[in-house]
Amino acid sequence: MIDIWTILRFLHVLGAIVWVGGQLTITVVVLPPVRRALAAADRADVLRAVGKRFAIITFTTFLPVQLTTGILLAGRHGVTWASLLQPGYGRMLATKLLLFAVVMAAASVHGVAQAKGQPGTARAASITALIGSLGVVLLATGLVEGSAS
Amino acid sequence: MTQFVDLAPPPARAEGAGRRPGPRGPVFVWANVVVLGWLTVAVGLLAAHQLLGLPGWVALHALLLGAATNAIVIWSEHFVVTLCRVPGPPPRRLALGLTALNLFVVTTIVGVTIDITALAGVGGTGVAAIAAVHTVHLLRLRKASLPGRFGYLIGFYAAASAALVAVAVLGAGLAIGAADWYARLWAAHVHLALLGWIGLSVLGTLFTLWPTTTGTRITAGGLKAARRALPTLTAGLLLAVGGMLTANVWVTVAGLACYAAGTVLVIVPLRPAGRISGPAAWMLAAATGWVAIAVLLDATRLVLAGSVDALPEIVGTVMPVLAVGFTAQVLVGALTQLLPVVLGRGPAEHKAVAGILARGWQLRTVAANVAVPLVAAGLPEPLPRIGWALAGLSAATFVTLALRVAVPVARRGALDLEPGPQPPRGTTTGVLAGLIVVVVATALATSGRNSPAPTTVSGAEHTVEVTLGGMRILPGTIDVPAGSRLVLRVTNQDAMVHDLRLDTGEHTPRLARGETALLDVGPVSGDRQAWCDVAGHRAAGMKLSIRVQGGHQHTPATPDSENGTAAVPGLDLAADPSPGWVPRDATLAPSTGTVHRIELRVGERDVEVAPGRRERRWTFGGTTPGPTLRGKVGDRFEITLVNDTAMGHGIDFHAGALAPDGPMRTLAPGERLVYRFTAQRAGAWLYHCSTMPMSQHIANGMYGAVIIDPPGLPAVDREYVLVGSQLYLGDPGSDSQVAKIRAGQPDGWMFNGTAAQYDHAPLVARTRERVRIWVVNAGPGDTTSFHVVGAQFDTLYKEGGWLLRPTDTAGGAQALDLAPAQGGFVELTFPEPGHYPFVDHDMRHAENGAHGSITVTEHP
Ligand SMILES: [Cu+2]
Repeated sequence: MIDIWTILRFLHVLGAIVWVGGQLTITVVVLPPVRRALAAADRADVLRAVGKRFAIITFTTFLPVQLTTGILLAGRHGVTWASLLQPGYGRMLATKLLLFAVVMAAASVHGVAQAKGQPGTARAASITALIGSLGVVLLATGLVEGSAS
Repeated sequence: MTQFVDLAPPPARAEGAGRRPGPRGPVFVWANVVVLGWLTVAVGLLAAHQLLGLPGWVALHALLLGAATNAIVIWSEHFVVTLCRVPGPPPRRLALGLTALNLFVVTTIVGVTIDITALAGVGGTGVAAIAAVHTVHLLRLRKASLPGRFGYLIGFYAAASAALVAVAVLGAGLAIGAADWYARLWAAHVHLALLGWIGLSVLGTLFTLWPTTTGTRITAGGLKAARRALPTLTAGLLLAVGGMLTANVWVTVAGLACYAAGTVLVIVPLRPAGRISGPAAWMLAAATGWVAIAVLLDATRLVLAGSVDALPEIVGTVMPVLAVGFTAQVLVGALTQLLPVVLGRGPAEHKAVAGILARGWQLRTVAANVAVPLVAAGLPEPLPRIGWALAGLSAATFVTLALRVAVPVARRGALDLEPGPQPPRGTTTGVLAGLIVVVVATALATSGRNSPAPTTVSGAEHTVEVTLGGMRILPGTIDVPAGSRLVLRVTNQDAMVHDLRLDTGEHTPRLARGETALLDVGPVSGDRQAWCDVAGHRAAGMKLSIRVQGGHQHTPATPDSENGTAAVPGLDLAADPSPGWVPRDATLAPSTGTVHRIELRVGERDVEVAPGRRERRWTFGGTTPGPTLRGKVGDRFEITLVNDTAMGHGIDFHAGALAPDGPMRTLAPGERLVYRFTAQRAGAWLYHCSTMPMSQHIANGMYGAVIIDPPGLPAVDREYVLVGSQLYLGDPGSDSQVAKIRAGQPDGWMFNGTAAQYDHAPLVARTRERVRIWVVNAGPGDTTSFHVVGAQFDTLYKEGGWLLRPTDTAGGAQALDLAPAQGGFVELTFPEPGHYPFVDHDMRHAENGAHGSITVTEHP
């Protein structure tokens, strides 16, 4: 049955798909040909433009949507502050949020390093963010399993 | 007098017409690939040993005996040849020696793992022989040539390989069985391997490797210190090992202190003048630091304990420090420094290789060193798990990088310098950082043993102290005025884990002994119930009633899905087994070896308990009954029990006699325990879970047999073992199942964990063959009367005594009767071909599953 909660869950999952899928696509699909085909100066321009666009989407759409739907869904699930510390569902959710914060921090480091022209640090941060996001998805999958049983 | 050390020697003899101008030709490159291969195996086993059901020390031996030993042999020989200007062995002999060494190492590890003493003995002897040859060879070099200023190196390496001989000898002793000497031999074995073979080799090499790594000069002072350090180190090691073998704590401590002093003698002249930089230098420095820390820790804890009896536990802490902090790190550091010289031709290639090997090194080094305290400090899970994961990731990253360079060089003799586009900088660091973050998060997320922060309660309310213990909740009833707010302060006083759950679903976390948690019931308007939610505990009596004074409202009992009382459909013994069902092999193999090591993991599995009927069961080693152990009187058993489930379990071996307090304690989820006993008496013994309520743990599958042969037991043509037990259907610990167990009303009876299984998969025999059938009654409650239809027993052995022997020609036996936990065997020969049913002759048992069949064919 489709109700408002279905829509909220859909938005939450859709946000995650766009964010993680976007990072994967950029790192695995877009960057290698860009690096091969373009000269150093053009390459930097393209990468900066892509990074900026991704950051804008993140801050204007992804984060607000994820936070709103996430908080509403947690409330619906009966999650309280105290339960976040308890083993099982609460702790997994708390760790997922923590990991998500780390991913956001890594993404920010990526932006700063890119702007300062430190490609090594920028790349390390972006890969960290990408793998971290996959970890967030893994934990989220664990949460679905945990709530079903 | 100072000089720079060039570790790259002139090209070796002109074999292969200079195809590889790197040091020592292709054999040497391959030898380094083998080292990397062992490192890969070690990391792989570290990650997968639980999955494969292998003990953890197999991974440790892949690291120490595989990777480290290969590296030491090839590089020590290389340093001696290069620095002491002595002729090296021809490549073919080197290849032959290394191949033999690796074959013996594999033989040893496989032999000990699958407990074939002969294999372990051959492997250990082989390693010892090669080490002895190596020692003699080194000593003869020292005599034959004038090794000059670097002659001390030969001394270090000779002492180290002498230690390896001793390691192998002691290891063989452990594998063969050392009874009461086990703990002493083990401690000596570990110390000789880590501080002797690996420690002396590494410390000796440091005097030349460290200056090369830091780009400083080697000084005459350094060489003098090297010559002085060796006697101190060897004396310390000999003293320590002697102390361990004679169980003298003060000699041991003095030896360790002496060894620590020797380490200081090495470190002081080598201390860096300025800031050290570069991956190899950092790793070597950190690794050397961990040796010093480990030895001091070893000595200090020994002094505090005041007895060598504490050694096994201390070694348990020190060994991870030396394995992860020292051996693995020194191996990676040394290879980071040395591999570029082996794999590259000329400065440009050296630099390229070094660049690849250095990728992500800061993060790798941090991860490896953070891992050391996590794995060694005895912290609660999931921290050790995170530590092992960090160490494994760090080593795996290096191995991946190194193999990517080394394998092409070994195969084609040249470095691939045009391998597509170089990955941009930061890739390795990024991947490693991402993996580390995810691994730590996953471990944290799935951990479940920390108690929550207590919630503070305020206002006018009743707080009631509630204690859990002895399968009771005290008080059992709480009366409160209607409408008042109730908070329970719940304390567990039992060794076993408990919790408390309200009928509305709120519950405390699982509480270990002594832990307390608050449970807020809220305003109470009607009667409420609470119980311990650990499987079976509610049914065993852990219930609490909250009653409203003066009121008579009752909240309707909420149906509880986990503890459902819905009737379980009965058995259909005529049904077909599930597709893919494999019967439990009843064949009993003869015992091998005198030391029996096995890892038993407690798990929860879906098990075929009757044809076509699968139920969740609690298992030792994944099956019910658990694996059958067999040995002789005087054999030593070492069982590592690991609790992989979410509830407490323990184990009790009737085949050994010991104070139950420690070994039979209940293990919390994730805990492990080593249960050691020596079989003093023959018999067919039961083992079972030792956690209360045992009736439920046994009824749900936690039992198995230990067969200790009576002295002089004659060989027979076939031997089978059958463990009898009752079958209680239903979810383990559910109300309905517990009620049946308590009433002694099983749904069926079975041999070897599945009702009627040998009706579907008959045992086999031939006429004129002597067949011995061992029977153990696991219970939990009923007797067994074992009978074979159409046959008579000429031998009957029960509870340690012979009731009938073939020499008693006049009499025969028809049944072997066993009360719960009794065991024995019968022997018989079948008079003619045919189908002989075997039964528990309590016919209620036979007709409800304790039934099987033996197909007897004509002897050819
Ligand atoms: Cu148990």
